[in-house]
Amino acid sequence: MTRVGTLAGLVNRWGFHAVLLALGALMLTNLNWPLVRSFEFAFIWEYRTALFKGFGITLLLTVEAGIVGILFGTLFAIGSQSPFAPLRWLVAAYVEVFRNTPLLVQLLWIHFALPLVTGINTTALVSGITGIGLQAAAYYTEIMRAGIQAVPRGQIEAAQALGLPARTRWTRVILPPAIRTVIPALLNQNISFFKATAIVGMGLLVDDFFNSTLRVSNDTFHFIEPLTFAAAVYLVLGWQAGRWTLRLERRLTRGER
Amino acid sequence: MSFDINIILRYYPELLGGAWVAVWMTAVSLVFSSAVGAVVCIGKLQKYGAANRLATAYIDLFRATPEIVLIIWVFYCLPLLFDVRIGRYGCAIIALSAYGGAYMAEIFRAGVQAVPRGQTEAANALGIPIFHIARRVIVPPAIRRMMPALVNFLTELLKATSLLALIGVAELIFVASTLGSKTFAYMEFYTAIAVIYFMIIFPLSVYARRAERRRLRRTGN
Repeated sequence: MTRVGTLAGLVNRWGFHAVLLALGALMLTNLNWPLVRSFEFAFIWEYRTALFKGFGITLLLTVEAGIVGILFGTLFAIGSQSPFAPLRWLVAAYVEVFRNTPLLVQLLWIHFALPLVTGINTTALVSGITGIGLQAAAYYTEIMRAGIQAVPRGQIEAAQALGLPARTRWTRVILPPAIRTVIPALLNQNISFFKATAIVGMGLLVDDFFNSTLRVSNDTFHFIEPLTFAAAVYLVLGWQAGRWTLRLERRLTRGER
Repeated sequence: MSFDINIILRYYPELLGGAWVAVWMTAVSLVFSSAVGAVVCIGKLQKYGAANRLATAYIDLFRATPEIVLIIWVFYCLPLLFDVRIGRYGCAIIALSAYGGAYMAEIFRAGVQAVPRGQTEAANALGIPIFHIARRVIVPPAIRRMMPALVNFLTELLKATSLLALIGVAELIFVASTLGSKTFAYMEFYTAIAVIYFMIIFPLSVYARRAERRRLRRTGN
């Protein structure tokens, strides 16, 4: 590159390092060192059964979001391609409502307002499962719809020309390639739902992993250790899952070429 | 079941106040997110070295941690760790800006990288000053390219402000829960805030989708 370019690069790099060093120095000098020295993470081990149980709930909610999301998302996506307009509108309205309001609002509505409509009181866990399932269905519908629209029109028209019944057309011609193209998107979405389970935990006081660590905090009056532990667990798992998804995505796109 | 619309009308100033707090928190966090994002983006644009690795680590860290965990961590741990007093609003802004910075960095990067290299090089060859190049050659197409992703992120940020109720920031959910516990009209208030959120977020996501489609049609990639 030209001289100007390298100069800009130098300014960029040194500017970045200067900002970073200043921030680092500021943090290190202002840390509450006596507190940092008193950290001990060992007591978390005493709460291992509660934390494992909480982690089970987190996994349950994550897997549930995936299964319910893919099942209902596929169904609704098929509905969104229907020639019957009111059905398309219904799917569109459902998707927009659940994608454009925060999960916490949906959860609170389902837990506190819905029982007044249905007359059935739900436990926090059931409300959480319902809420995350409903939202997952909306998000996965969008993904599946994109996958269906990525299937070349010629293939669908060929299936119609062959006189294949609608059921066979969907299960044998449209859905297999549609699902294959959106697998990475589905996995990424499920990682988002893994993160969102913490909202169910704290918002509705379901004893998931995050809420369990908060209870450990309240029980021991130590906040930093359990919360940092929780953050680290979410970080490592979410990050690793993201990396696997990226690798899978690369392998899938390589296979296509 | 009865839906009493009058109770919403009676308490609408409180609800609007909550909406105002949510919008305000979003706006402030967006400004700070952009600042953080710009710094991280510069680091990420370096091809190698410590700056790139640190920026990548920052982005991975804040994108893989759930927002709610981050908010709670900042609220409970940060003041203890640095022995300072930060109010709930300060904590909210710190957490949302740190989280937003990671996303903004990626949005900026996509925008800057969308500008063809040849254009920057041509401007360089013409001897145009570097800041002029940045302002007239790189930024305009980058902004056009970023707009859909930026507005999309804005909707995510608005949704994330709802989590601030859990640390006691008086945004919509907090207001609705307080009013609900006072009047037992949970149904009415939770429905009202869902509608308010939808009215704020829906136009933005419609805009983002349209802009993205327009961009795809124009550039074809």
